[in-house]
Amino acid sequence: MELEANRLGLLESVLGAVHLGAIVLDTQGRIVLWNRWMEQYSAMPASDVLCRDFYTLFPEMRSQRIGMAIQQALVSNFPSLLSQTLNKSPFPLHANRSAAARGERLQQAIAVTPVTVAAGAGERHCLIQITDVSIAANREKVLREQAMVLRSQTFSDGLTGVANRRHFDVAIDKEQRRAKRNGGKLSLLMIDIDCFKAYNDHYGHQHGDQCLIQVSAALTAMLHRSTDLLARYGGEEFAIILPDTDAEQAMKMAESLRQRVLALDLEHRYAAEGNGQVTVSVGVATHSPEQPFDVPALIGAADRALYAAKRAGRNRVAAHQA
Amino acid sequence: MSFTLSELEHDALVEIFNIGVGQAAAAMSGIVNEAVTMSVPSISFLNRADAAALLGHRGEQAQRICGVSQHYEGAFETEAILMFPEDKSLEIVRLMVGELVPLSELTEMEQEAMSEIGNIILNSCVGTLANIFEQELQGSLPVYHVGTSEDILSASGSAADSVVMMLHIDFILEMHQIHGYVAFILDVSALRDLKEQINLYLSRVMGRN
Repeated sequence: MELEANRLGLLESVLGAVHLGAIVLDTQGRIVLWNRWMEQYSAMPASDVLCRDFYTLFPEMRSQRIGMAIQQALVSNFPSLLSQTLNKSPFPLHANRSAAARGERLQQAIAVTPVTVAAGAGERHCLIQITDVSIAANREKVLREQAMVLRSQTFSDGLTGVANRRHFDVAIDKEQRRAKRNGGKLSLLMIDIDCFKAYNDHYGHQHGDQCLIQVSAALTAMLHRSTDLLARYGGEEFAIILPDTDAEQAMKMAESLRQRVLALDLEHRYAAEGNGQVTVSVGVATHSPEQPFDVPALIGAADRALYAAKRAGRNRVAAHQA
Repeated sequence: MSFTLSELEHDALVEIFNIGVGQAAAAMSGIVNEAVTMSVPSISFLNRADAAALLGHRGEQAQRICGVSQHYEGAFETEAILMFPEDKSLEIVRLMVGELVPLSELTEMEQEAMSEIGNIILNSCVGTLANIFEQELQGSLPVYHVGTSEDILSASGSAADSVVMMLHIDFILEMHQIHGYVAFILDVSALRDLKEQINLYLSRVMGRN
């Protein structure tokens, strides 16, 4: 008998010492156990919550997954697991008072298991165990942020900071599929800095790099929709993907881009034509939903249009004639 | 060993499991605030090696499978395992969580989310079964595994001659359709218990006997 009494005392102390929250509900859903960890992180002493109905204390939980889990434990005898990822901190638990003031809850992983009290003639209870997973959750957040930085590095051009060729290849593929699904028009611009070789030869590669940076910044500034993408396609060649843009809108856009570069007023005394400024030629190609779609064909068409613009004297826009 | 159900028994089981996954889909919709639909188009009974082969081989190498298992006992005893190819489980978790930066493997937190998804689906399937059989079962908490289908099917320590009741599951979330499986590993006596329960149910609903 004394041994049994000690045993109960021991179990009580163990429950008080474990590093997780333990709540036990009886068949009627009243709180019959609230351990010390719960007292500490909820700032609610056991004396305030014992014998009270769980949903009177936490009314919002009845309709949440935790309510379903409690029901399943008490009625169907099945245990449930609530992950931190799919359930955003159901219990109002805080690391300390300042975290509570900021409304910053502990990240929680919860297990809800049925417990049959042997002595109580099979009366079923339910145990809610809460584990603080804040550290693991934050570690993964850091990991994800680093992955995000790495990914953006592998997808951008080191010199100009705009999308690189790899990014372009992925994006054009994605937009092609989207256009096919939605029946939208997709336009592609190919932009080349005129007589760039002469520029590099006369002003040097450092100035050449500066010229690329300024031109790409000017082009970027002209794109206002988040779906438009400017990429460095090759040496001094840029490409712009314009989803949901017809041939006429694309031509207008190309013309504004040409003028914007001209307005930079970058000196280029060795250009074959023009007033001694840096200029660009632009080739425009548009895909219509009624044509069969092929990414290489679209790129080829924009390339041929660019070539036509060059042949016609540079510093101009040409559209692909289908 | 061979095991067969009559057409009537088979149809009853398919119907019961469709109710079960329907409830699971409703619960998951509640979590993600989006329409989730699930259905069980068919059930087959296979021996363990054939079940492993069904999931296992795409091309040369054995495919990596993610599994979430729970043990149930009572009116019948079984190890229930939800299984998806690893890339599909990444897709499901990503769609459920809405994560923009997918890593190449499920992280610890994502594995737990996958365990929760398995927990919801398995409890709903077995719960509906128990309800309809008017029986009570006890279940364990879910355990997450990754490995070949053979690793996962044998992890429960069941005999190699066990029968696997395979549910094909179609899971539709955000226009993505993902195929998976729920396997119930049953030994000879569990199979007999299951068949008996199906027939008790059928005689109740059809007023036979």
